[in-house]
Amino acid sequence: MTVSVMIVDDHPIWRDGVARDLAEHGFDVRATAADADAAVRIAGTVRPDVVLMDLNLGDTSGVVATRSITRDLPETRVLVLSASGEHSDVLEAVKAGASGYLVKSASVRELVDAVHRTADGDPVFTAGLAGMVLGEYRRMADAPAAGEPPPRLTERETDVLRLVAKGLTAKQIADRLVISHRTVENHVQSTLRKLQLHNRVELARYAIEHGLDREEE
Amino acid sequence: MSTSPALRDPATPLWWGTIVLRWVTLAFALGALLVYRSGYDRPGLAWAAFGVMAAWSLVTTLTFARESLRLRSLVVADVVVTCGVMLTSQQVLSDQQFAETAPLVTTVWASVAPLTAGARFGAVGGVLAGLVMAVCTGLARLEFDLDVARDGVLLTASGLLIGITATTARRSQATLAQAMRTEAATAERERLARSIHDSVLQVLARVRRRGAELGGEAAELARLAGEQEIALRALVSTEPSGPAGGDADLRAALQLLATPSVQVSGPAGDVRLPATVVTELVAVAKEALSNVERHAGPAAKAWVLLEDVVLTIRDDGPGIPPGRLEAAEAEGHLGVAMSIRGRVNDLGGTSTLETAPGAGTEWELRVPRPRQRRRGSR
Repeated sequence: MTVSVMIVDDHPIWRDGVARDLAEHGFDVRATAADADAAVRIAGTVRPDVVLMDLNLGDTSGVVATRSITRDLPETRVLVLSASGEHSDVLEAVKAGASGYLVKSASVRELVDAVHRTADGDPVFTAGLAGMVLGEYRRMADAPAAGEPPPRLTERETDVLRLVAKGLTAKQIADRLVISHRTVENHVQSTLRKLQLHNRVELARYAIEHGLDREEE
Repeated sequence: MSTSPALRDPATPLWWGTIVLRWVTLAFALGALLVYRSGYDRPGLAWAAFGVMAAWSLVTTLTFARESLRLRSLVVADVVVTCGVMLTSQQVLSDQQFAETAPLVTTVWASVAPLTAGARFGAVGGVLAGLVMAVCTGLARLEFDLDVARDGVLLTASGLLIGITATTARRSQATLAQAMRTEAATAERERLARSIHDSVLQVLARVRRRGAELGGEAAELARLAGEQEIALRALVSTEPSGPAGGDADLRAALQLLATPSVQVSGPAGDVRLPATVVTELVAVAKEALSNVERHAGPAAKAWVLLEDVVLTIRDDGPGIPPGRLEAAEAEGHLGVAMSIRGRVNDLGGTSTLETAPGAGTEWELRVPRPRQRRRGSR
C-alpha cells in the first residue's frame, strides 16, 4: 500500500526537495504546508499516514501543530524532521506525540526508511533522541514536581536507551542484551509512551487548574 | 547605541560629594579662624594656610569634577597638601590653645582627603590616607591622646567606608556591563542564526542531498557541503560563553564536535559545569575522537553521549587488541589512553576503556558532580 505523506516546512527549497525525494521513492505526497496553522487544517482534510514536521516554522512552533494533529487524527503519525540544534523543541514535540525524530542532515535512504517505519507504527529512535529522552527522565526524577509523580524507566529500558544513544542498532542491542529484536523495539516504544502519557496528564491538570479546559470547548 | 554606562565611573556621585564637602568644611575652617585668630601665635601664617586651603579646594574642584582628571598623583597630592597645612598648626596655635584642645588650622577640612583617596583607590587607599591623616593630627598637636585617637578612628573609618562603596559600585557596574555585553551578543547571534537558518543552511542541505544522489564528483561536493552544514548548525546553536571563572554548558560545547561521522547526544537542556571542567572535558573528547580518526579507519563512526556527569565516547572501529595498550605503556609511550586517563583524574573523575577486537572502543568518563549544581530546566 502506498504511504501518504504531508510535508510541513517553511522553507520552499527544502520542502520541495524532500517532496521530490519522497515521490521518487514511491510515496504519495498529498500536501505540503508552510506554517503550523495550515498544517493542522490541511492534515485534517487530507489525513496523511505520515506528517513530516519541521519545528522551526517562523511564528508558531511545530510542537503545537504536532500536538493538535496527534490528538485529532489518531491514524496519522508525526515524524519530526528538524535541524540538529533544536534539542528542547524536539523533546517537546516527541512529548506532544511525535513518533520519532530525524535530523535534516540524514541521507535520503535514512529518510525513506524512517518514513516507512513511522507509517508502520514503529518509533524512529536515533541516538540523538535517545540521549534527550534519557536526559528528560533524569530531569524529571531530579526536579521535585507537584502533581502526578513522574514516570520512571525500568533498569532494562535504561540499558536499552543508553545503548541506542551510543549508536548501537536494534540488532546489536538485541545481541548484547540477549533479548529479541522485537523486545528492544518494545522497550524503546514504552519509554516514549510513558513520556507522552505523562505529558498529556500534566497538560490536562494544568488546564483544569487554570480554567483553560472550558475555553477550549 | 547611546553612551554605554560602562564608560562612566560609577563612583562619580562620591566625587561630587567630596567636592561639596570640601567647600562646606572650608567655610567651617574660616569660621574657626575668625573665632580663634585673636589667641593665635601667628595669625598671618593662619591666613596664609587658609589661602592655600581655598586655592587647593578650587584646584581639586576643577580637576575631580572631570573623570579624566581624577589622577592618582592629584589624590596623593591632596593627602600631602592637607597634611602640610595641618602641620602649620604647630606654629599657628598658642600653647594655651593646644592645652584647651582648640581646633587645628584645617579643622574638619582635613577629613576630605581620606574620602577622595577611598573613592580613587578603594578601601585600602582610604584606610591608608586616614592613618596618614591621623598621624599628622598627632604630629600637629605633638601628643597622642584620646582626642587624636578618636579623630584617627573617624578619619580611617570614613576612608574605609567610601573605599568599600566605590569598589562595590565599580564591581556592580562591571557585572552589569558583562551582562549587557552577553545580552547584546546573544541577540546578535540569534539574528545571525535566523538568517543563516533561512538561507545558507537550506541551500547547503539541498546541495548535500542532491549531490549524494548524483554520485561521482557531485557526491564529493555534497560531502563537503554536508560537513559545513553540520558545523554551521552547531555554531549558530551554541550560546556565547559567560565570564571567565563561571560555569558553562557542556552540552552545547560538545555539540560543536558533531560531524557527519560523529553523532553527539545528550539532554535537551543545559548541563552546567564549571567552565574549566567543560573546557577540559571537551579537550578530552576531542582527543578520543582524533584517536578514532587515526586508528579506526575512515569508515568508522563515533558517538558521544552526555548523561548528567558521565561522558561516553564510542566508536565502531576494529577495537584495540588485548595487551596493546599495556605494551605501549611498558615501552614508555604515554599514549592517548594515558593522556585521557590523566586529564580525567586531574578533574577528580574516573575513566574506563572497554575494547575488544571487532567491537570498537568505548570510553566512559565520569567527573564529580559540583555541589551547587544548577540545572537548565529546558
